[in-house]
Amino acid sequence: MSAALPPSPSNDESANEMNTVTPLLDVVDVGHVYGTGQTAHEALRAMSFQVRKGELVAIVGPSGAGKTTLLRCVSGLMPSTSGEVRLQGTRISGVPAELAVVFQDYSRSLYPWMTVEKNVAFPLTELSLTKGERAERVRESLAQVGLNGMGSRYPWQLSGGMQQRVAIARALAYRPEVLLMDEPFASVDAQTRADLEDLVLRLKNDLGMTILFVTHDVDESVYLSDRVLVLSANPATVIADIDVLLPSPRDQILTKELDDFVHLRGEVARLIRAAGEDAKARRSAVA
Amino acid sequence: MKTPIQKARAHGLELAIGASAVVLFFVLWEVITQSVRMPYFPPPSVIFENAVSKWFGGPWYSLFLTETGAQQLLPSVGRMLVGWGIAVVLGVVLGFVVGLYPRIAAFFYPAIEFMRNLPPAALLPIFLLILGVGDGMKVAFIALTVVWPILLNTIDGVGSVEQTQLDSARAYNIRWTRVLRSIILPSALPKIFAGLRVSLSLALILMVVSEMMAATNGIGFEILLGQRTFRIVDMWSGIVVLSALGVLLNIAIQALESRSLRWHRGARA
Repeated sequence: MSAALPPSPSNDESANEMNTVTPLLDVVDVGHVYGTGQTAHEALRAMSFQVRKGELVAIVGPSGAGKTTLLRCVSGLMPSTSGEVRLQGTRISGVPAELAVVFQDYSRSLYPWMTVEKNVAFPLTELSLTKGERAERVRESLAQVGLNGMGSRYPWQLSGGMQQRVAIARALAYRPEVLLMDEPFASVDAQTRADLEDLVLRLKNDLGMTILFVTHDVDESVYLSDRVLVLSANPATVIADIDVLLPSPRDQILTKELDDFVHLRGEVARLIRAAGEDAKARRSAVA
Repeated sequence: MKTPIQKARAHGLELAIGASAVVLFFVLWEVITQSVRMPYFPPPSVIFENAVSKWFGGPWYSLFLTETGAQQLLPSVGRMLVGWGIAVVLGVVLGFVVGLYPRIAAFFYPAIEFMRNLPPAALLPIFLLILGVGDGMKVAFIALTVVWPILLNTIDGVGSVEQTQLDSARAYNIRWTRVLRSIILPSALPKIFAGLRVSLSLALILMVVSEMMAATNGIGFEILLGQRTFRIVDMWSGIVVLSALGVLLNIAIQALESRSLRWHRGARA
């Protein structure tokens, strides 16, 4: 796949026919600058990476690196100031229907005036489904995240971890091609986090979901993914693309004891620390 | 964390304390007015007896209203509710338009703030001048003066919707009419209800004011008539009826609010 510039949207049709070679998600030279002139802040610079079908790619970087900006650009929630994002070969503008997002702040992404069921069903109202199909999808996706029988509760009656499960169920019911997750487990406790990580792995293995997972947690990025993309800070750009060849199924204890795991997490952690120090040095040089 | 039973007990205790204060107030009022005879301050027993016989002695099919009750109370309540109803529609619709576009909000906000802080009664002469003394004047007067709290609260409410909730809706390509109805409206509803409550009690005040200035029927007119003709008990019983009406309206809107915002109390707890 070439990253030739400028991209021509005219060959979308032919690209669609080559699904086998075209990556599902193709991020080409995406850059983003907030503001203009003196106060301009470059958050992303020439980001390029690809996500293949069925792959779980983790993006990890120092805090404040612009991970959320990246996710907003990739999802189409915010247009990037340069570059393009292609989904199944088609350049996206706005959020494509094949894509779902799970946000970090579950308490603000769910709707407190709707029951769990209604929250999950809400995006489905835009799809042409019969009432029965809709109810079936809601039931099924709630079961997939382990929330059977919780449909008539309200989100605020559930724990944080369960609320995030609802948000995941909502994404699943929508049946997206790609699931984007923006630090989804950053505000739950450690045990809940481990449970939710294993839930994500199960979704990937059982449903073949393609997932782009943004996190600041090194262990999490290695434990979950097939590939880890390490970001630099200010502006963020991909400084390493590391294959994670850990055996599947993964296990919170056994996998993390493997030499390969320990090496990988060390490698990623070192890269992030270097990137963080580099950013700090550049900041003080400017100041 | 209190158990529901403890909560209910605490609530019951609060109610009992409140009720005993009301009872004490009426007992004192009765005792004082009975022992010191003051022509302008009849005992509450006399006032309530008059209120019942004059206003509420009627059969059930006329809502327990007497003929006078129906003739005086219904026009008043009618004017008030129509005026308030117009204000609700106007305030919520305009509030959405202004609230959804921050630039329009920035343009109108100072003007709205100015209008809101103007004592409404001061505008009555203008309404009298333009619209005369009829029901239309009273309805318009009530509508255009109680619309401000609804408008401001709706603008506020619409502006305070969570960005992540809107982002989620956008991520799922929810069409904007549904975003408006299923996300922005419910988010704004707690603030809108605050506006509705304020404007309803304001509407009651303005109804009385307008009826005292220019009317031939209504509660306000009856109270003023009682004072002018030295039927002091009639004046007081009108006031009692008015306060009963106020309490009733408040209960009604609170019931509506707690029905519509059950999720809100839960989410806040």
